[in-house]
Amino acid sequence: MKTTRRQITLEIVRIVLVVLLALLLGFFITTLVSDDPVGAYTEFLTGPLPKISINDDGGWQLRGVNRFGNWIEDSITLILLGLSVAIVFSARQFSLGAEGQLFLGALAAGAVSLYFHAPAVIHISLALIAAGAAGFVWGLIPGALKAYLNADEIVSTLMLNIIAIQFYQFILTRYMRDFTAGYIGTEYFPETAVLPVVIPGTRVTVALFITIAAVVAVWFLMSRMPLGYEIRMLGANRKFAEYGGIKVKRVITLSMAISGILAGLAGTHLSMGLLKQLTLSLSPNIGFEGIVVALLARNDPKWVPVAGLFYGYLRTGAQIMERSSDVTREMVLVIQAIIILFITAERVLPLIQQWWQRRRSPEAILDSVEGVGDVA
Amino acid sequence: MPNLIDMRDIIKVYPNGVAANRDVNFSVEKGEIHALVGENGAGKSTLMKILYGLEQPTGGQIFLNGRAVTISTPHQAIALGIGMVHQNFMLIPSFTIAENVVLGQEPIKGQLIDAEAAINITRQLAQEYGLEVDPTAKVEATPVGMRQRVEILKTLYRGADLLILDEPTAVLTPQETDDLFDAVRRLVSQGKTVIFITHKLIEVKEISDRVTVMRHGEVTGRVQTAEVSEEDIARMMVGRDVLFRVEKPPQQRGEAAVRVSGLSYVSVTGRPLLRDVSFNVYRGEILGIAGVEGNGQTQLAELLSGLAAPTTGAATINGQSILGRGPRYVREAGVAHIPEDRLTNGVALEASIADNLVVDRYYRPPFTRRGAMSLRQIRQHAENLMQKFDIRAAGAGAAIGSLSGGNMQKVIIAREFSADPALLIAAQPTRGVDIGASEFVRRQLVEARNAGKAVLLISADLAEVFSLADRIAVMYKGEIVAIFQNSPDLTEEALGLYMLGLKRQTPAEIESQL
Repeated sequence: MKTTRRQITLEIVRIVLVVLLALLLGFFITTLVSDDPVGAYTEFLTGPLPKISINDDGGWQLRGVNRFGNWIEDSITLILLGLSVAIVFSARQFSLGAEGQLFLGALAAGAVSLYFHAPAVIHISLALIAAGAAGFVWGLIPGALKAYLNADEIVSTLMLNIIAIQFYQFILTRYMRDFTAGYIGTEYFPETAVLPVVIPGTRVTVALFITIAAVVAVWFLMSRMPLGYEIRMLGANRKFAEYGGIKVKRVITLSMAISGILAGLAGTHLSMGLLKQLTLSLSPNIGFEGIVVALLARNDPKWVPVAGLFYGYLRTGAQIMERSSDVTREMVLVIQAIIILFITAERVLPLIQQWWQRRRSPEAILDSVEGVGDVA
Repeated sequence: MPNLIDMRDIIKVYPNGVAANRDVNFSVEKGEIHALVGENGAGKSTLMKILYGLEQPTGGQIFLNGRAVTISTPHQAIALGIGMVHQNFMLIPSFTIAENVVLGQEPIKGQLIDAEAAINITRQLAQEYGLEVDPTAKVEATPVGMRQRVEILKTLYRGADLLILDEPTAVLTPQETDDLFDAVRRLVSQGKTVIFITHKLIEVKEISDRVTVMRHGEVTGRVQTAEVSEEDIARMMVGRDVLFRVEKPPQQRGEAAVRVSGLSYVSVTGRPLLRDVSFNVYRGEILGIAGVEGNGQTQLAELLSGLAAPTTGAATINGQSILGRGPRYVREAGVAHIPEDRLTNGVALEASIADNLVVDRYYRPPFTRRGAMSLRQIRQHAENLMQKFDIRAAGAGAAIGSLSGGNMQKVIIAREFSADPALLIAAQPTRGVDIGASEFVRRQLVEARNAGKAVLLISADLAEVFSLADRIAVMYKGEIVAIFQNSPDLTEEALGLYMLGLKRQTPAEIESQL
C-alpha cells in the first residue's frame, strides 16, 4: 500500500502500543503463576542486557556479558532463518524446510572443517560455500517439485526435513563421530575452521558480520535485482507475472533454493561458531522460528534484523526468567506466544480504531476522511 | 403519499478512510423505473448495498413507505420486499431453473421437496410477469438472457416489490436487452418498482422515468428523464462536457501484420472452445471481434498473447510464428495485450504503479544494467507515463489497488501502448471504466491505428465495436461466422442475428473478407 509518512508513523505507534499491551498481559499472567511477579518479570525484561556494577573502590565492571552474548547468538540464527523464510514468503510460497537445510548446511560445513586443511580464511570460506550449496540443493528440490509437478511444498519440505535430519544423524553416528568420546559427536573442529570470536566473553563470532552481509545481500536481491522483482511480482499476483512474461516456474524454484542458502548458513553459525563440532541434535525446532521472524518483519529484509533481535531478546529473556524465578518453562512459552500473537494479529488495532470511531458522529468521520471513492 | 424508499443523509465511510457516500439523499416512488447512474467509484454500488443490507451506513436513515427501517442483512431486505439482481449471477449451474428459483424456500411435500410444485410455481411466475423460461432446463445449458430472467424470478418468488438491477445489460445482446426492457416494463405495470443501475446513457433514456446521478459520493442530479438529454446526464456524471463520437480519420490500411489460420483449441475438459479460426489483421486497422461473451473470445486473446497453447493452428506476426512459446516470446515479437480481466491478469494490486509499469521490460536496459535494477529509471519511467496517460494517483510508489478502475485501466494501457507493439490486443478495454476514461481509451486505440499498428478489439459492447472498428468479425460458439466491413449500413440488429447464431455467412463470403 501507499506508504506516506503518516502511515509509517501510524504503523510504528501501532507496534509500540501492541507490544506494551502484550507485555502488560504477560505481566498479568505472571502475577497469577509467580510469588514474586515483579522480580520474575524484571528478569524477563532486563535479563539479556549486561549490567554495570560499581566496585567498592570506585572502579566498574560489566556483568552478564554472557547473557548479552546469548541474545546476540540466538538472534544471528533467527535473522538468517528469518531472511530465508522472508524470500519464500515474498514469492507467496510456504516452505517449512529451513530445519532440514540447516542440518545439511551444518553437515557440509562439518565435513569441510574436519577433512580439509587450509589456512583459516580459505578453510572457513570453503566451509561456508559448502553449507550454502547444501542448503541450495535442499531448497531446489521442493522448489522444482512445486513448480513443475505442483507438489505441495508444505508436505514436501516437511518430508525432506525428516530425510535431511535422519541422513545427518546417520552420517554422524556411522562415519564422523569421535568414537573416543562418551557421546555422539565429532571431534572439535581445527582452529582454522572455527569462526573467530568478536565479542570477548561470548560466543558471538564473525557470524555476526556474515549475517549483516546476508541482510544486505537479500535486501539487494529483493529490491535491486531482476530476480527479486520477479519474486515480488510472483508473490503479488502469479497470473500477472505470467501475463507479463515472467518465467514463473523458474522463479518459484529459485526462490526456494536461494532461501535454502541462508538456512544452510545458519547451520554454520551453530556448528562452526557455537558448538565447534557436530552433535546429534543441533538446536531443536529452531527451523520454524524463522517463520515468526519473517512474519514480524512483514517479509521485508531490512526489518528482519530488528525482528530477529526483538524475538531473540524475548527468547533469551524468557530463558533467564525460567532459570532465575519460579515461573515454569510452559508459562514462559505462553507469555512469549501471546506477545507474538498480538503483534502479528493485524486485526487488533483496527478493532480499537473501529470502537473509537463508533463513539464519534458520522459527520466528524466524514470531515476526517482523506479520499473519495467506492470500494465496490 | 410517502415515497416507497427514502434514503436520507446517507454517509458511508469505509474503514480504510474512503468516503463512498457523503450525505446522499435518494428516493424512489412506487411504480417507477428509476435509473441510478454514475461513473465507477461514484458510490452507487455502495448506496445499493446499503439498501440491500450488504453494507451498514456510517450515518443516515432509510425509510420504507415513510417508516424508518434498519436493514442489516439481505435477509431483512428480502423480508421488506427489496430484491437485488447482481451483475454476476448467483445461480447453481447444475440445478434446473425451477430448483434455482425456489432454492432456500422450497415447497415441501411430506419430507421431500415437491419438484412438481416448484415447476408450477416457476411457470406461473414466468407467465405472470412475461419472463419466459424453461423451468426444467439446467441453468448451465441456458443462455445468459434466460439466466438473468431466472435471477429476477428468484427475487419475485421471495416476494420482492422493489427490484434493484445492477448493470443488467452488461452481458446481453441487443435482442436480449430489448426483451429485458419489455420484461421490466411489464413488472412495473404489475405494480413493481425497479431501480436500474447502469452507465449506458442510451438505456437511461429508453427505460427510466426518473434518474438520479451520482459523482464523487454525492448526488449531482435528480431529474425527470424526459426533460434532459444524454449529454446533460453525462455532464452531471463527469462534471464536464463529454465527446461521444471518436474522431476517426479515413483508414490507411497497410500489409497484413498478423495472420491467424486454422486456430482450434480444446479445453482440458474436452470442450472445443475455438474451431478453425482464421483472420488477418492489417497495419492501420482495428479489427473488432463482436459476439456474446463466452463464445471463444477469451481463448482467442489467451492464445495470441502466449498465455495458452493452441490444439492446432498457426499465427504469425510479421512472418514470425508466435504460438505456444509463452508470453515473454510473444511480447518480444511485438504483441501487447490489454487483458479482459484486469484484476486477475493486468495488474498486481499490492505492487506499486512503477513496478506494474515495467513487468514486460524490467530486465532490459535502462531498467536493468549489469544485473542491477535502477529504481530511479523505473520511477522516472512511471512518472513519464503517468503524465502522458493522465494517470491520477498519489505518486509512482502508490499501490495499484488504491486507484480507481479507470486509472487502473490507464496504467495497463500506458504499459501496453508504450511497448510500441505491432499488434495490440484489446479485450473489453472499457469494461467497468467510467465515461471520461472510456473516451480516453477509445481515442488511444484509434491513435494506435492511425500510427499504423494492427489492433484487435474484442468487446461485448456493440456500440464500441461499431464506433471504433474498421472491420467486424462475429464469433459464435468458437467460430467466426461472419466478417463485415464496418459501414453505416450495418446495424446492431443485423449483427445480433449472427451473434445469436441465427445467421452465418458462407465460407466463401468469409474468405473474401479475411
